Amino acid sequence: MSGAVTTAHSVVEPSATSRRIAAFLVILYAVVTMVPLAWIFATAWKTPPDSISYPPKVVFDPSLEGYCNLFTTRTRQTDEYIEALGPPQGACDEVTRKREMVIAGPSNYLPRFVNSLIIAFGSTFLAVSLGVFSAYAFSRFKIPLADDLLFFILSTRMMPPIAVAIPIYLMYREIGLSDSALGMILLYTAVNVSLAVWLLKGFIDEIPREYEEAAMIDGYTRLQAFFKVVLPQAATGIAATAIFCLIFAWNEYAFAVLLTSGEAQTAPPFIPTIIGEGGMDWPAVGAGTTLFLIPIVVFTVLLRKHLLRGITFGAVRK
Amino acid sequence: MRPGQPARKRWPRWARRGLLENVAIGLIALGVLMLVQPVSITLYSYSFVTVLAGTLMFTIVSKFPE
Amino acid sequence: MPDVNAIANRVAAATPPSLGRAVRGLSDRSIAWLFVAPTIILLLAINIFPLIWTIYLSFTNYASNRPNRAVVNVGLKWYQDILGSPEVWAAMQATAHFVFWTIFFQTLIGFTLAYLIDRKFRGHAFWTTIILIPMMLSPAVVGNFWKFLFQPQIGLFNYIVSFFTGIPPSSFEMLGSVTLAPWAIVIVDTWMWTPYVMLICLAGLRSIPDYIYEAAEVDRASKWRQFWSITLPMALPFIMLAVLFRGIENFKMFDMVVLLTGGGPGSTTELASITLKRQAFEAYRTGYSSAFAIILFVVIFGLANIYVKALNRVKQR
Repeated sequence: MSGAVTTAHSVVEPSATSRRIAAFLVILYAVVTMVPLAWIFATAWKTPPDSISYPPKVVFDPSLEGYCNLFTTRTRQTDEYIEALGPPQGACDEVTRKREMVIAGPSNYLPRFVNSLIIAFGSTFLAVSLGVFSAYAFSRFKIPLADDLLFFILSTRMMPPIAVAIPIYLMYREIGLSDSALGMILLYTAVNVSLAVWLLKGFIDEIPREYEEAAMIDGYTRLQAFFKVVLPQAATGIAATAIFCLIFAWNEYAFAVLLTSGEAQTAPPFIPTIIGEGGMDWPAVGAGTTLFLIPIVVFTVLLRKHLLRGITFGAVRK
Repeated sequence: MRPGQPARKRWPRWARRGLLENVAIGLIALGVLMLVQPVSITLYSYSFVTVLAGTLMFTIVSKFPE
Repeated sequence: MPDVNAIANRVAAATPPSLGRAVRGLSDRSIAWLFVAPTIILLLAINIFPLIWTIYLSFTNYASNRPNRAVVNVGLKWYQDILGSPEVWAAMQATAHFVFWTIFFQTLIGFTLAYLIDRKFRGHAFWTTIILIPMMLSPAVVGNFWKFLFQPQIGLFNYIVSFFTGIPPSSFEMLGSVTLAPWAIVIVDTWMWTPYVMLICLAGLRSIPDYIYEAAEVDRASKWRQFWSITLPMALPFIMLAVLFRGIENFKMFDMVVLLTGGGPGSTTELASITLKRQAFEAYRTGYSSAFAIILFVVIFGLANIYVKALNRVKQR
């Protein structure tokens, strides 16, 4: 025992053995939890027969077929017809012809993906703009019934989407916002603004009031102080909030599947409808899923320091 | 309790916010349990009014002083 | 701050005098309202107005596929129907099964992971980030690809289970069997949301100051004793916060489950939200589903009150 040598602090430090056991178990969990994700990413590079083979293939020849099928629609043709076409144009054409099919045109994946982008960025921009003003007001001014208003704002986010969707569906039908990007942007803004207000209030609370007060003594008005002093100070918080709003709008399914059917449909309701001949086209689904999830994985890594705030509405800051 | 606040002193002990809030929370929890229990459909039928009563009570008593 | 002064003068010079006076004249009070009003107006239009409309519809026989039919007041009929319906009661129990077991496993695994990560081994930040990834993904897309993993013949899940247990992989169907489907959705939800509980528990563990443990060491309390009388009680408000939020979220669960099982087989995994969706958007019983929506609203609103109280308790730390 080297008890006499250890410092006072090391009393609560975990021992080397317990650390090693902890590391082993945590890494084991992390690896196991990544298996389903890795599997779907790998499936995107398989051919349809490989994707449904038994036993499941861990080693396989990578193929572009999943990505090709994701972005195209195909029709079956006779050998004579295909031979009469001349040499294949590009890799996807070649893969498709091997299955005795020709590319008939682009699929709906790209437009749906673009819809997702438009709706996610549009609603994030609106929610964060509205949120930063409200958060500032809640943070700095005495607003009557502030706690009740904040609770009201938060409670709107907690509501079950299906319950909200019933009247929204009727309302949008009346005013012609059904299946429109604008309608979805407004709806996602309303859902996201509650998160934005709560999160940004937490970030703005942390900026000392003295900064604005100093600026106002120097002749700034309250509004100028807000734009020139508070906003730049809150930039990190605004960026983190924006990413949270973006992820919510990007991932949302319930409203999207009930309120959009064609024009404004986003990617989440579209991906499960990708079918090939005789069932789900799993490599294409895998490819669609991969392209859809990769941005979120990147954002998660970027956001890791702020995740805790985001999931507790700014209450827990570490 | 700080001095100079006679209004708070007159507020009855049993009606303090903390206690009544906990009663309301208990009522909401009881209502949710009644809603999902698999034993009696009568309890299920009365679950909604229980949750509603608890929620209204919580909203009201959260305005009471500590 | 000479710079700020210069900027202020430039701004003042660039602003038209009338606007400048109007803006300068804005009191803090009016700025406060100006800043809050757009948010409140949006929420009134997209949340509160529809809510009031739903309350109104819940007392009528309105059906969204027959908008021209005369709307008749039916009083509390729908509420009585729903609260006396064995099918809805069964859906509530299916929801309860899902909520209870997901919270049970997520808390157990999540707290254990948080405790292990709090040993601060080398590289723990990296592995924590990896573990967090599933909770950020789209529940619908997750449900969809787990359906692939759960395929009886070809799915990876069945293969791995049979690899470790020897049960033939085609002898059980996770999504097609009445006994297994309710557990399949619990497995996927646990995979996805354990990181959430882990992250909040980790915050709870890190909020416990070292000196308390040091004092316990001085008193020669065993590690076991320290865990039960310091670690767990002090992390409890955080655990409660996570449990309440997961409870609310899973009580209204829709997207992931609808893509995994669609409520089937039969109605074994038909959670409350799925029943509501069928009534509203497949049977077009708008009045009935409005009443159902109000019932869910009130339950969630009640739970949200408790959640915010729990949030404030954690905030004071």
